[in-house]
This record gives sequence, C-alpha cells and structure tokens, in this order.
Amino acid sequence: MSGERGTPATEEGAFSRLVQTTGIDTRTLAMVAALIIIWMVLNALTGGIFLSARNLYNLTVQSCVVGIMATGMVLVITARHIDLSVGSVLGFTGMIIAYLQVELFTLGAAWNWPLTIVAGLALGALIGLWQGYWIAYRAVPAFVVTLAGLLMFRGAAFLVTDGRTVAPMDPTYQLLGGGIDGSIGANASWILGAVAVAMVILISLSARAKRRSFGFPVKPMWAEIGLIVIYSGLILGFVMLMNSYYKPRTEIPRGIPVPALILIVVVLVMTLLSRITKFGRYVFAMGGNPEAAELSGIDVKKVTVMIFVVMGILSAIAAVITTARLNAGANSMGMLSELSVIAAAVIGGTSLAGGVGTIAGAILGAVIMQSLENGMVLLGVSSPARQILIGLVLIAAVWFDATFRRKG
Amino acid sequence: MSEATGATPLVEMRNINKRFGGVRAVDDISVDLYPGEVLGILGHNGAGKSVLMKMLAGVFPMDSGEILIDGKLAVLNNPRAARALGIETIYQTLALADNLDAPANLFLGREILTRFGTLDDAAMEHESRKVLGRLNPSFTNIKQPVLNLSGGQRQSVAIARAIHFDARILIMDEPTAALGPEETAMVGDLVKQLKKEGIGIFLISHDLHDVFDLSDRITVIKNGRVVGTRRTSDVTRDEVLAMIILGKLPSGAPEGVKF
Amino acid sequence: MRRLTRFAGGVTLLTKFPSALWGENTERGDTMGFANKRLPSLLLALALAVIAAGNAAAKELIVGVSWANFQEERWKTDEAAMKEVLKRHGARYIGADAQSSNEKQISDIESLITRGATALIVLAWDSGAIGPAVAKAEAEGIPVVGYDRLIEKPGVFYLTFDNKEVGRIQAREVFKVQPKGNYVFIKGYAQDPNADFLHSGQLEVLKPAIDKGDIKIVGEQYTDGWRPENAQLNMEQILTANDNKVDAVVASNDGTAGGVVAALTAQGMEGIPVSGQDGDHAALNRVARGLQTVSVWKDARALGNAAARIAVALAKGTKPGKIAGAIKWSGGPKGVTLDAILLKPVPITRDNLEIVIKAGWVSKKVVCQGVTKNPPTACR
Repeated sequence: MSGERGTPATEEGAFSRLVQTTGIDTRTLAMVAALIIIWMVLNALTGGIFLSARNLYNLTVQSCVVGIMATGMVLVITARHIDLSVGSVLGFTGMIIAYLQVELFTLGAAWNWPLTIVAGLALGALIGLWQGYWIAYRAVPAFVVTLAGLLMFRGAAFLVTDGRTVAPMDPTYQLLGGGIDGSIGANASWILGAVAVAMVILISLSARAKRRSFGFPVKPMWAEIGLIVIYSGLILGFVMLMNSYYKPRTEIPRGIPVPALILIVVVLVMTLLSRITKFGRYVFAMGGNPEAAELSGIDVKKVTVMIFVVMGILSAIAAVITTARLNAGANSMGMLSELSVIAAAVIGGTSLAGGVGTIAGAILGAVIMQSLENGMVLLGVSSPARQILIGLVLIAAVWFDATFRRKG
Repeated sequence: MSEATGATPLVEMRNINKRFGGVRAVDDISVDLYPGEVLGILGHNGAGKSVLMKMLAGVFPMDSGEILIDGKLAVLNNPRAARALGIETIYQTLALADNLDAPANLFLGREILTRFGTLDDAAMEHESRKVLGRLNPSFTNIKQPVLNLSGGQRQSVAIARAIHFDARILIMDEPTAALGPEETAMVGDLVKQLKKEGIGIFLISHDLHDVFDLSDRITVIKNGRVVGTRRTSDVTRDEVLAMIILGKLPSGAPEGVKF
Repeated sequence: MRRLTRFAGGVTLLTKFPSALWGENTERGDTMGFANKRLPSLLLALALAVIAAGNAAAKELIVGVSWANFQEERWKTDEAAMKEVLKRHGARYIGADAQSSNEKQISDIESLITRGATALIVLAWDSGAIGPAVAKAEAEGIPVVGYDRLIEKPGVFYLTFDNKEVGRIQAREVFKVQPKGNYVFIKGYAQDPNADFLHSGQLEVLKPAIDKGDIKIVGEQYTDGWRPENAQLNMEQILTANDNKVDAVVASNDGTAGGVVAALTAQGMEGIPVSGQDGDHAALNRVARGLQTVSVWKDARALGNAAARIAVALAKGTKPGKIAGAIKWSGGPKGVTLDAILLKPVPITRDNLEIVIKAGWVSKKVVCQGVTKNPPTACR
C-alpha cells in the first residue's frame, strides 16, 4: 500500500504511518493483540502451565478441526450464505470412513485407510454438490438447505451402524490425528520451517520485483525486511515450540503434529484460492454486490455450488482428523461444531453481511476460541460456566469488530 | 455525425417485446443506432427504457424480436455474449462491488491472468492506472475498496470499465444523475470523444438538458411503446416534453419517421 | 362378549347392503337416485362398522414408549427386547424419539396417549421437566414406567439397573487394581441425573480411602452430552494440568472411557485402570486388550424385557405394589417413595468376558480382535 504524506508526527500519526507503510491489516493486528492478552491472562491463572510446550502442542491439535472447517466457512459467509450442516457432515462422513475401514474392508491392509479417506472426501464433495445445487439452482435459502442438512446428515450418521461406535481404527491412520507417534519429529520440522522461511523471503522479494517492474511504489527496505524477520521468527518459533515437547519418558522431540501439517496445507490452499484465483475473486464480488457480479458475466450459480463443494470436502478432512484422534467413529462426532466454526470465522473478521473475510483471520478466531476452552478446562471450570464465558467473548469480539470497522 | 441514408446501423432492435407477469414492460419497440451517434432515450420512470437496454446488454432475454449488430443477427442471452460483441454498459447504480478495489472492479469477469492461470493483480493495476489516469488524473490511490471513493471517482471506475475493452456500443443509464457540474462536464467531454472514435451511444436520461446537449437523435418511450424518434435539431424542448408526458407528437413529420 | 356382539352387528349391517342397494339400482338404472338417497345411508353404515371395529381394537394392549435420544448405542437393544416380550403378550408397540429435547418428549407422550397407549414406558431426557407429561398420563389413568432414568413422581413405577450400584462397581474394580494414588473422575452429562447417581456410588466406595489420604482426586469434569470427543479433550487437559501424575480414571460410561483411553494413549499411559459401563463392543475389546479395567454390563435386554412385562401387567390392572419383584424405594433426591425394581448390573473384566460372549451380546471375534500378548481366558 502506498504511504500517505504530510501526517503530523504525533504518536498516533506515527503508528498509523507505520501500519500503512508495512501494509499490515489493523484488524488482524487487533486480533493478535487480543490473543496475546488472553494467553497472558490464562498463563498467569494456570501458574505457567498454559504456555508450556506441551499445552501449546495440544492446543494446536485441538484447534485443527474447527480451524480447517472455518477456512471454508469464510468463503460461505463472504458469499452471503451460511452452512449450518458442517458438524453433521463431519459426523456422517466420519462414520462412513470408520465403517469402511473397520467393518467392510480388511483392517490393517495397506490400501484400506487411504481408500477410506478418498471415499470420505468424495462423499463430502457430493454432499456439498447436493446442498449447493438446491441453493444455487433452486434458489432455496442456504439457511434452510443447510439446516435440513444438519438434521438429515446427523440422522444418516446414526444409521450407518445403528448408533454403534466403531473402533479401533487402523494404526497408521491414527497418526493423522496426532497422538504419541502422530508428529513428524525434530529434523523434519526444522526442514519444513526452513522451507517456509525460504518461501516467505522468495515471495516477498518476487512481489517487490514485480511491483518495481511496473513502476509501482514499493515498501521501504526496512519495512520489507522487518516483515520478513517477523514472519520468519513466528515460523521458527513455532517449530522450536513443537520440538520442545518430548515424547513421554524420553528426550525425543515430537515436532509438528500431523493434524497441524494438514491444517497448514489447507490454510495455504484456501488462502491461494481466495486471493489469486478467479474463483476467489468471484466469491468476494458476489458477496460485495451480487447484482454487479451477475452483470459482469460471472456464473454465480456455478461458483455458489463450488463454494459448498469445497465446504463439504473440508468437513470430510475434519472428519478424518476427528476419527483418527478419537481412534473411533462415534455418531455424535462434530455435534454443535458448526457454531464454533461460524464463531471462529466471525471473530476472525468475516462479516455476516458478506464480502469481507480472511482465511488467516478465521484461524486466529479458531485459536482464540480454542484457547479459552483449553485454558478453562485446565483451570477446572465447569462446562456450563465455560459455555457462558465463550458466548460473552463471542459477543464482545463481534461488537469490537463492528465499532472498529465504523471508525476505520 | 456520420450517418448517411443507406448505411448499416450499428445496432438495430426490431419489434422487441418483454412482459413481466401481466405487465408489458416493452411493447413492440424498434430503435436503431448508427456509428458515432448518440441516441437519447427519454421517458417516465417505468416507461421501459432500462428494460430495453438491459436486453441489449444481455441481462434479460427478449420475449420476441430481433437484435442486429452490424446488420447481423445477434444472440444476447448473457452479459458475456453482449460484451463479446462490444456492448458495454454504465449502470445507473454503477454496479460496482464495494468491497473490491478499482482494478478488480474494472476487470471483473475478464481478469488478466498469469501464465499459471492465476490473477495477475499487478498487470491489472498497471492497466487500471493508465485508463483511470486519463479519465481522472487526481485519482491515484486506486488500491482501496471503491466504497471509500468519492462519487466522481466511482463514476470514473464504471466508465473506465465500459470503455477499456474496445467497446463499440455504449449504453449509459442516467450517467450524470449523481454528479456535480464539474463531473457532468467531464462526462460530456468523454461522450464527444467517444463519438469521434465511431462508438455508438445509447443515452438514457431524465435530464432534458443533457440529452439536448449530447444527443443527435431522441427517442421517447411511454408505457413501453415508442412515442416517436426525432433528430434533436428538429424538435424543441417543449415538444419533447409533450411527447414524454402526453405522448403527443410534434406537428409536422409523421410518427416514427427516422433519419 | 359385548365386543363380539357389536362387531357382529357391524358385519350384519354391511352384508345387508348389497341386496338393498345394487338390486334396486340395476333394475331402475337410477344413478342419481343412488347418489341422493342411498349413498348417505351407505356411508353411515360404513362409519358405524368402522367404529364397531375400532371399539373392538380399543381393548387391545398398546404400550407406548417415549425414548429420550436414540443416538446412544444401547437403546436399540432395549427396544428390541421390549418388542419381543410385548409380542409374546399380544400387545402392540408404539414409540417416539424425543431427540434430546424436553419439549419434544412432552409432545411425544401426548401423541402416544392420543394413539391409544394403555401403558407408557418413559426414558426421560430430563426427569425434572418430564412432570407435566407424566401428570397428563396419570390423569387419563394410564400407568407409567420410569425406564432406567428416575422420574420422581409418586405413582410412577421405577425400573432401572441400580445406577448407584453401577457407580460402586466401577469404583470397586478400579480400586482393586489401584488402591492408592491420584484419581480422576470423568463424569457423565450434567443434565442426566444418572451421572450424579453414578458419581455418588463411586464416591461412596472411595470415601474411606480418600479420607485416609490414600487417594487424591486431581481432576474432575462432567462430559457434555456424554460425548467421547469432549471426554478426550477434558482428559488431555487434566493430564497436562497434573503433568501426567494420574494413576487411575473413573469414567462413567464406555463412550467417555474411549475418549479417556485415547488421551492416555497419546501420552503413553494406556493401561492405567479405567472404568466404564454399557458393554459397548469397542469397550469390551479394550477390556480384552488391557486398556480398560471394567465395563459394567447392564443387559439391556433384561431391562427391556422387564419393562414390557411390567407395562403389560400394569395395563391389565395389576397394582404397582403387587408387581412380582417390586420393592419400595426412596433413594431419589426428593425422597419420594416409589414402587421399583432394581436389576443387578454385572461387572465385566478380563476374567469373565465369556459371560457377554455366551449371552450372545457380542462375538468372540470382536472382543478378541487385536489381542496378541497376554490374552484373557476368554480369548485363548
């Protein structure tokens, strides 16, 4: 973003200049600040346990399911729709995966669990196609279609095995859920970290070069380098944290847990999808002004169906992690999670009016919500009390966001 | 002005009909447009002007009738098809996505892609700066959401979108309704420039002054039907008002004679 | 006898008609006349016949069952057991699933009454809120059996496995293996009264050791909706809060036990004593593999059978106090005295897995799947 000249050198002026020069989104900054405050408070209340490597590792794994689904929900809400069925779709696809893996196919065969994952993802996509069809081509409001989906697929989840819990899962498959062997170890984590840092540098420099070639203004070098340092620091810090958590009774560092890797891949893909593809651009256009999108020749119906197909696939990915982590398929999996997913997206800055939202924000929202839950259980707060608190935080976050937006 | 009798019209709309439920929005309307000409379209609210033009722009399908571009039958069943034939529209509401920035709006639906098939935002920004710079030199901060722009800047984006893609036929729906005098003059200059380039313009407007100022011919529509078409130089304002309000033709030339 | 006469009367009416109607019509060819004169009478006769038949049917035994939430695994078994006994007694089964909603359960019960239930078996979702619906049934003279979960209203017959005894058994079996150390309670769903019955039984058994200081409670959480994922997360956090210094977990059912074992396994702590109940197939397999200490088995078939038997008896007019095996029980929070039958639950551990296999509850293959080292007697 180009900087503005002529602002007086007051404290406020300097800060806003800094923000504009570096191009950081102030809203994201505010959320990160909120997260840090929450972490500090919880850490103090738990006597330092909250910010231990172990708990942050657990927190990472616990945030993955909601985080993955929240990235899809951002697109759904941005396009002025809603998806209330994600929890039930998670339950249904998870039960199918478990049923196939444990009862239909030969448990332990090498081809078994990959095939069940493919089947689960295909089912998720089909469900998205079904719901998307009714919403886009039959003009039934998304609220109604996905509310029906919430009921239908929860019922379907029960019917897969008549309510019976299916367990245990394939031992290799279990790694996808984290657990004692479900992380990649120290060396692989460092390598990934190094690769990520390299990518950050590469992307920053190539974007800068491209802007130069067009003669556009570029950020001052100090801002560019500063940002690279901050992002690299966060990446390497995260790797170091994951490596500080050892396997029980050993000195072997666990490294990045597998569900977190899945989350990272999902976040990368979804961010690219929303920022540099036509599909992503059209989702935002449809949310900002549906009429303008139509008049510009965008196939709004097709894009709408795609949004729900993506959401279905993401719910199925979440189901894989849930069943792997639980080492079982239970028909109540994912119940009520649609509320957490929507809350994560909204706390993360996605506006319910449509047209605005970021993937990174949704992940931050998911981490904020999961941090509260995680910390409160550490403190022994009872479940009903936790529900009240999280509800209050949700209201506060959205109110804060609304006032912030109005000022900006 | 460059129409000669016998030359092929740029656009011919013949016997166009459109109903919405029980209401005849467009009732057997025929108009045409020659290259480098401005046809002013006047009439009450709900007379059918916008609906007629939206059919040309591919937004609505016609119930019956034909549209010929350069003498050839055109199938305009979606906005893409219309754009492909060089038909561009500047809508009354501007039809901008407020959450996107100017380059995104300008290229909406026809984005510039990199060789990997991804959005080439830098190229789009570059092109946008060029065309917006010509239209509105003081407009530099083009990377912010268009929600934050002034009325005139938003207008520039809508105009830029319409003229950047080799338009041959331009539909302008109430282009100056929300503008101040300076910006209105800017639009007037633009129209004159476009005429010189041989572009045909349909100018829908309430403002008699603008229409008289800019158009070569005037068509008046009332209750979905054409009242009459006259050369601007052949009629007075009062006569045109009578056409709009009373559906009364000026004495002299018979109804429907076009030049 | 009266029934038979009325029914016969209806049949006679019907048989009289053909000759009365068709004969005349075909002779005269008077279709209009048929519509105006004969049709109303035909309809009236048909209506009377239907009412007669309906009255005959009304004396049939219909037992209505109101389920709280069919989502949990075991209720299918209960249902099948009820239907089996009802069939034997010539009674009809009608059921409804409240899907975890108080409001729905109230309207379910109303609908069962409307559909002609002569006795009700109610598995209450929330025994506090079920009052109005039960009162309605009582007002119509329909006897109610409170199934598995306590409905503390005078006049309701309470049939359950002794849930407090279940809790005691859970605690006892874990205590046998781990008489000293740090204990964690993963309890049931706070809104389910059974959760507190279980917990009170557990505490009763462990109290002496707790008071002595042999046992220290280092973590305690209810589990929302009895859901395994929630139990897993809660257990994970408790382990973190205590730096893994946990020696035993008293879990209140098999679903939550599954979540607990998953959390323990992630810390390499699987194998420490964990309790459960319901005899879920996955849990029995865990018992065989040494991951779970006990699953308290309540043969849901026995409960379903008993409920059907009791409902039929009550519908036929037997007084609650006179039901075979009934006792007077007042162990509920309000201290109301109820006629009750409390069935005895069976603890299933490594040593007696054959019981569930022989009873046809679960196959040996499922129980012994994946058991490699140190198999229990049932798997050899």
